[in-house]
Formats: sequence, C-alpha cells, structure tokens
Amino acid sequence: MGTRIQTLGKAAFVLPAMTVVLALLIYPVLSSVFFSFTDRNLLKAAYEFVGFQNFTIVLSNPEFWNAFSTSIRWTVGSILGQLLVGFLAALALERVPRLSGLFRTLLIIPWAFPAIVIGFSWKWILNDVYGFLPNLLTRLGFSEQNVSFLADPSVVFWAVLVINIWFGAPLFMVNILAALKTVPKDQQEAALVDGANIGQRFWFITMPHIRKVVGLLIILRTIWVFNNFELLFLITGGGPAGITTTLPIFAYRTGWGLHQLGMASAITVLLLLFLLAIASIAFRIINSGDRKALR
Amino acid sequence: MSRRTRAYPLVLPYAFLIVLAIGAAFPLLWIIISSVKSSTELAHDPLSFWPSDFTLEHYRHVLFDLGAIGNLGNSLVISLSTTVLTIAVSATGAYGIVRFFPRVGQRLTQLLISTYMFPPILLAVPYTAIMIALGLANTYVGLVLAYLSFSIPYAIWMLTAFYQTVPLEIEEAAQVDGAGKFRTFFSIASPIVLPGIVATAIYTFINSFNEFLYALLFINTTDRMPISVALYSLSGSEVLDWGAMMAACVIVVLPSVIFFLAIQKYIAAGLSEGSVK
Repeated sequence: MGTRIQTLGKAAFVLPAMTVVLALLIYPVLSSVFFSFTDRNLLKAAYEFVGFQNFTIVLSNPEFWNAFSTSIRWTVGSILGQLLVGFLAALALERVPRLSGLFRTLLIIPWAFPAIVIGFSWKWILNDVYGFLPNLLTRLGFSEQNVSFLADPSVVFWAVLVINIWFGAPLFMVNILAALKTVPKDQQEAALVDGANIGQRFWFITMPHIRKVVGLLIILRTIWVFNNFELLFLITGGGPAGITTTLPIFAYRTGWGLHQLGMASAITVLLLLFLLAIASIAFRIINSGDRKALR
Repeated sequence: MSRRTRAYPLVLPYAFLIVLAIGAAFPLLWIIISSVKSSTELAHDPLSFWPSDFTLEHYRHVLFDLGAIGNLGNSLVISLSTTVLTIAVSATGAYGIVRFFPRVGQRLTQLLISTYMFPPILLAVPYTAIMIALGLANTYVGLVLAYLSFSIPYAIWMLTAFYQTVPLEIEEAAQVDGAGKFRTFFSIASPIVLPGIVATAIYTFINSFNEFLYALLFINTTDRMPISVALYSLSGSEVLDWGAMMAACVIVVLPSVIFFLAIQKYIAAGLSEGSVK
C-alpha cells in the first residue's frame, strides 16, 4: 500500500511531461499519417479515405521533385558551409591569446536573430535599389548596375545559402569550441614533444575527442535546416519562379494555399520518412566509428 | 624556425576572425543605423554610415501608428505563458526522470530527442484540424499549446543534464529531516540548478517570441498577432516603409541578442554533455 502511493508520487512528476509528449507529438504524427490517406480539405469538415492516391499524385508531380532537390541542395550546402566556417572560427578562437571573448561575442550575434528579422534585414541589405551591398558593389565598380540578389535566378540560391551559413555557423562554432575545451592539454603537449605536426595533432588527438559532438551537431542541424520553413519563406517566399521552394514551403502552399490538407500531409509524411532514413544511417555511422575507436 | 611557427599562425586566425566578426555583426549594425535615418536619407544615400539627420520617428510610427506595441504585448503574453508552462512541466519531468526512473528515463530522453525530427509543418496539419474541432483557432491558448510541442522536449533535455549534477546526499539529508518528494524537488534540488532553469526559461522565451510558422497558420486577426507575424503582414499590405520595418526589427532583435549572449554557455553545455551519454 505504502509503496503504491510512493510509485504514484513518483509517477506524478513525469506524468504531465508524458501527457504533453503523447498529446502534442505522438498523436499528431499518427494523425498526420492518417490524414495523408484522406482528401481532407482545410475548409471542409467532411473527408473521405482515398488510399494511396495522395502519394501517387505527389510522387508524379515534377514540382514535388523540384522542391525535394532544392531541399537537398539547400540543406547540404548550408550544413557544409556552416560546419566549415564554424569549425575554422572555433579553431581560430582557440588559438588567439587575446580578444577571443570579444570575437566570440560578435560572432554569436547572427544566431540570436529571429527569422523575421533575418528576412527583413537581409532583404534590406540586398535590396536592389536602396540596399547597402548592391550599391557598394556598383560604387566599387564590381557591377555595372545594382545586382538584385534575391530576384536574379542565377544568384538567388547562392545568396540565401550565404545568409543561412551566416545564421547557422555560430551554433557550430560555440558547440565545437565547447568540445575543443574537453581535449586534454597534456596529450597535445605530449604529441608536440614527440614531434607530431599540427595536422597530425589535429587528426589523432583533437578529432577523436570532438568527433561525437561534431557528428551529433551535423545530424541535428541537418534535420533542422531540412525542416525549416521560415527562413526561405521570409527571405524569398520560395521564389523567384520556385527556385528556392523547399519541401516545407511546397507543403505549406499545398495545404494552406490550395487548402489540400490531405495532400500536404502526404508531402510531410514523405519528408519525415526521408529524414528518418537519413538519420538512422547517420547514427549508424557515428556508432560504428565508436566501435572502431574501441578496437 | 620556432619563431616563425609561433608568430605566423597568429596573423592568420586574427585576420580570419576580424573578417568574420565584421560579417557577423554588420546586419545588426546596419539595421540600427537604418532605423534612425530619415526616409529621405534612406532613399538617397544608401551607403552613408553616419545618419545626417538622426530621427526616432520610425520607432514612433511603427509602435503607435502601425500598432506594433499591441503585437509586442501579444508576443509577451504568449511567450511568457509558454515559458511558465514549459518550465513547470519540464522541471518536474526532468527531475522525475533523473531521480525516480533513471533507466526508463534514458529511453524517454532518446524519444524526446527523436521528436526533434518531426517537421513543424507536419504537426501543423493535425494541429489545424484539432484547433478547428476544439474552437482554438485564432486563440492564444491554441498557439501556446502548439509551442509546447517544441519547447518541452528541448527543456526536458536541457534540465535532465542539470538535475543530474545535484548530489544525492543533500537530498537524502533533507528527506531524513522529513521533507517529502515535492518539497525536496522544490526547495532543495531546484534552487541548486536555478541558473540552468533560468537559462532554459530564457531559451524557451526567445524561441517562442521568435516563432513564425505556427503563428502564421493559427492566428488570423491583426489584433491577436504576435509581432513576428504582424510585421510579416505589414510587409504585404502596402509599399514597404523600410525605416519603420528596420525600427521594428531593432526592437525585436536587441532583447534576443542580449539574452542570447547571457545564456550561450548553457546551450552549448547541454549539447556536449548530452552527446557524451
């Protein structure tokens, strides 16, 4: 009797959290899978079961495949850029004896930018009439007339990629910096005494200590960028001519623009399945590396 | 040789950091400068760094004429409610996992991390259906509930790491003195991890304050919109008043930057500790 009350008391601590997770995450995901087999419309309450029809329509739609390919290029390009810049910045901060606190503070700023401010501030900086950058490039003679970074189909993708790298690199930098602090100094010094060069020290001493954090960072941020809707929606709206339309934006247009919620569910379910596949492969790679390191 | 290897590598990192720092900080600097220039100057001298006629008119215009102050109030109500609910649910949950269900708890935290994979736009479809069914469309309650879906898993994850640092002996001493489980949690364990709780609360607050997608989908009337969506809807309605938009951006981004710098080390600590386990 007493132990049962004890258990109830313990369960009371975790019950609210579990309820929230079940009601706001598990149930909606299952519900989304269910909707993906229906013709649910945003404006109508009644809907019918349509089997795999949504999926066959989506998978034979070239716009879906365009958005899918844009999503992949956008994610891979962003993550590679963020990782590279963040990593180099962390290494540089580790190396400099002075002012590293000041640099760190300045470098973190982009991370604190809300999506809405990222959208407006970059649209303003890149504005082809009043913007700082196009006017600067013209003034310096790099361009004959102002470049319209966010409207010119040949540059827009690169422009949004740079903006996302600007935004995401600080997160990599801060986490890699924290991981670098866990590398034992005496191992570094021992290797230095043994005559290991900078590349060898990095690869054999530093990397094994930070590999797991970096791997986890890449996975988490890949998921985040792949799922992200706001950034591109607020900078370009998916345009011009659909060049920056990723899967979340495509799903948004289908569900809330065309009112086809069932179809939108099918798109997002495909998106989730793809992410699950990628993530399980990625986690397997991280863990297999573990076993190799143990041997 | 040794002098060269010592002095030479320092030039490179400093040069690199200076270039990066300028790139990182420029947009913030530029929106602040733009927000205090007159509209004429914004249109005619796009490269001037020092405002020739300093003005706060854009701030007055966006806050009072365009009603952004009301939307800021909405954001405050929504984000504070989200933060209070998130901390209440996540602190008890994280403590319960650490103290009472450590083995199941690890599975649970893994499950929580995997919910990170759920695309917000995927959850948006059932949320829309649920909100229509329960009459929660266009209400704060509906939006706050939607925000809990991303804030609680992350908060539990962060807080479990903090509660794990509380020494068991202190709690046992309190229990010997007759403190119940909740007393021990509330007056012994939680004060010890208070800095972590504050950091988690600030992070939750910033994230809900900055959220855009759910606010765009679930709130349809201007008087209830949080600031993020209100600014977006302003940009579509007429010829864009860039000065006013920049002033609004400064108002939104400055608190975020300040809070972020204050809690940055906790956010990083969460990830590197969580990954070791």
